[in-house]
Amino acid sequence: MALRNFKPWQVYLGVGLALIPLFYMFSSGGDGQYAVLIVIDCATPLAVLYGIRLHRPQLRLPWYLFAAAFVCSVVGNVFSVVQENTPEPSWSDGWFLAAYPLAAASLLLLMLSASGRHKPAALADAGIVTFAFAVFQWTFVMSPAIRAAGGTGEEVVDALYPAMDILLLAGLAGFFVSPAWRTPSFRLVGAGIATLFAGDEAVGLGPNSYSIGSWIDSLFLLAYVLLAVAALHPSMADLSHPRSLPTLRVSLWRVTVLAAALLVAPATLVEQKLRGKPLDLYEVLSLAAAISLLVVGRFTGILRALERIRLRERRARAAAEEMQLRLTEQNERLLEADRLKDEFVALISHDLRTPLTSIIGYVELALDETVGPALDGERRSYLGIVSRSSERLLRLVDDLLFVARLQAGRLVLEPTDLDLAEIARQAVSEAQPRAESKGLELSYLGDGPLPVRADRGRIFQLLDNLVSNALKFTPEGGDIQLRTHQSADGIVLDVSDSGIGLAPGEADRVFERFFRSTRVVDSQIPGTGLGLFIAKAIAEAHGGRISVASREGGGTTFRIELPAPLGSGARIPESRLVV
Amino acid sequence: MSQALVLVADDDDDILLLVTTRLRRDGFDVVSARDGDAALAVAREQRPDVAVLDIGMPGLDGLEVLARIRADDELRTMRVVLLTAKAQESDVRRGYAAGADLYVRKPFSPAELSQRVRELLDGGKS
Repeated sequence: MALRNFKPWQVYLGVGLALIPLFYMFSSGGDGQYAVLIVIDCATPLAVLYGIRLHRPQLRLPWYLFAAAFVCSVVGNVFSVVQENTPEPSWSDGWFLAAYPLAAASLLLLMLSASGRHKPAALADAGIVTFAFAVFQWTFVMSPAIRAAGGTGEEVVDALYPAMDILLLAGLAGFFVSPAWRTPSFRLVGAGIATLFAGDEAVGLGPNSYSIGSWIDSLFLLAYVLLAVAALHPSMADLSHPRSLPTLRVSLWRVTVLAAALLVAPATLVEQKLRGKPLDLYEVLSLAAAISLLVVGRFTGILRALERIRLRERRARAAAEEMQLRLTEQNERLLEADRLKDEFVALISHDLRTPLTSIIGYVELALDETVGPALDGERRSYLGIVSRSSERLLRLVDDLLFVARLQAGRLVLEPTDLDLAEIARQAVSEAQPRAESKGLELSYLGDGPLPVRADRGRIFQLLDNLVSNALKFTPEGGDIQLRTHQSADGIVLDVSDSGIGLAPGEADRVFERFFRSTRVVDSQIPGTGLGLFIAKAIAEAHGGRISVASREGGGTTFRIELPAPLGSGARIPESRLVV
Repeated sequence: MSQALVLVADDDDDILLLVTTRLRRDGFDVVSARDGDAALAVAREQRPDVAVLDIGMPGLDGLEVLARIRADDELRTMRVVLLTAKAQESDVRRGYAAGADLYVRKPFSPAELSQRVRELLDGGKS
């Protein structure tokens, strides 16, 4: 069904607007017009009640007051139909006029809850607008009416309607302080009251007294429809509880409204004087005094708020500057710490190498039979242990230095075009004595040349790390193979052993810094857990990668894949490295 | 033929003794110095065939002594071996760029160092 696609407020707006032309199709003052009037009148409080049920606003009292105001209006209309042609003031006028304070109270309550912590400002704005408008209403509408009619009669009653509009306006004005005025529901209320007000003013200022069927009725009908739609719109629930906290802004238009309010009293007096009318001096002046006090209060509030904002801003800026200062200090400290770390690493490296030079050198001298009398076997073996331990210590120093440099982002490669097969052969031949002393078969399989662009020292370090690892973790009688071959993408290098292998789940972690396999720790094989971390770093620095395949007890294979050299770049002369 | 004269300069007494002992055992005449200025003075005075200079010394460091040797017309052809505890490749390059014949990183094998010195001298004669 098509009607289902529309929301209640849309349906109500459509039907309500359609009824207004219908009103004028009936004969002026006829039953048809009264019927339309009653229908719209009765529908309005019902719509408000339905809106409350539908949207469940937290604050319901204002909306019930709103509905009550319309009920009064319905009763007033009923009386005006029943008591046709009675002299005014009639019962009907009494009911109509009762509706205004109810509606005004409803608006005031909504406004106060919507303005949040700006309640005083909202009240002051409402007061200023109300008093200013009262000056206008009094001098142009009410005072002449009362004088003309001598205090009673139809004109006075008609003049009461615009007076009541002042009340509504008071309720409405306060909303402009809060963000509630941006909600559609409030705009509908505003439009409805403005329309109602226009109708009342037309009646009050008009030359003839009001009778049903005039053009002015369209304003009243439209006002009722708009007000009912305001209560049906979903945003009605936000009206008393705006989602965002109200922010205070001194907009140009607000200042203009305040200035205009201040000018109403003098302008009115000037107008009366110019036209030679009697001056309403006391009324206008007392209202003007009230307005002035309110405006002064309002401006004081605005200035104070501005001062508070400025103070807060100054504090925030001071805090930000302080923070900035602290950050700079911290940054300097970090840089200093970084520099100290580098110095420390360099120092450690240097200062450990110097005593190691003595240890290694003097052990060598002590073992040299050409230098002094030969040592017995036991002493030779002791010195052999010193020698091996110093080699291990040296290796550890080198590894730590390498990792420190790596983490500082200072691993600099010095690539040259070289033959990987030759380096592999060299790594195997250098490890051969160690393999033999442990009873291991160490061999190289592969034929060169395998051209690659790489840092010779680092690649050797990488291969040596892997071969040394294999030697360490392979029990006597096992064998270790280093194989190389050319692949489609570059060069593949495998180092496999028949050693203890890795426990399940350890394969992913062997390249972590300081990682040591539980098997290795259990069998007390010495090491730092840096070798494979370094191997991975070197492989990756060359644009390659390293991977491992292992079976517990069934040996381990490390595979390195290096990319093929990209053409022959600038050749860096090979360093003449010795020792 | 007279024995080749080798100048050894290092601020660490133990290493100085280690190197001089080894070289003497291997048949070299050795003079030693404990800092850069002394090393340069000895070099000018005694004209050794080979200078083994530690880089990290108080006063003139090994690289500065090397630079002065290379700048001196009479000493220019002297063989120079640099010793260092620094391990960076860039240090090695700087050493060669400064005109070293050989660059040896600590720790080293004294026997191998002695062997290299011998090779340098032989190479120079051939």
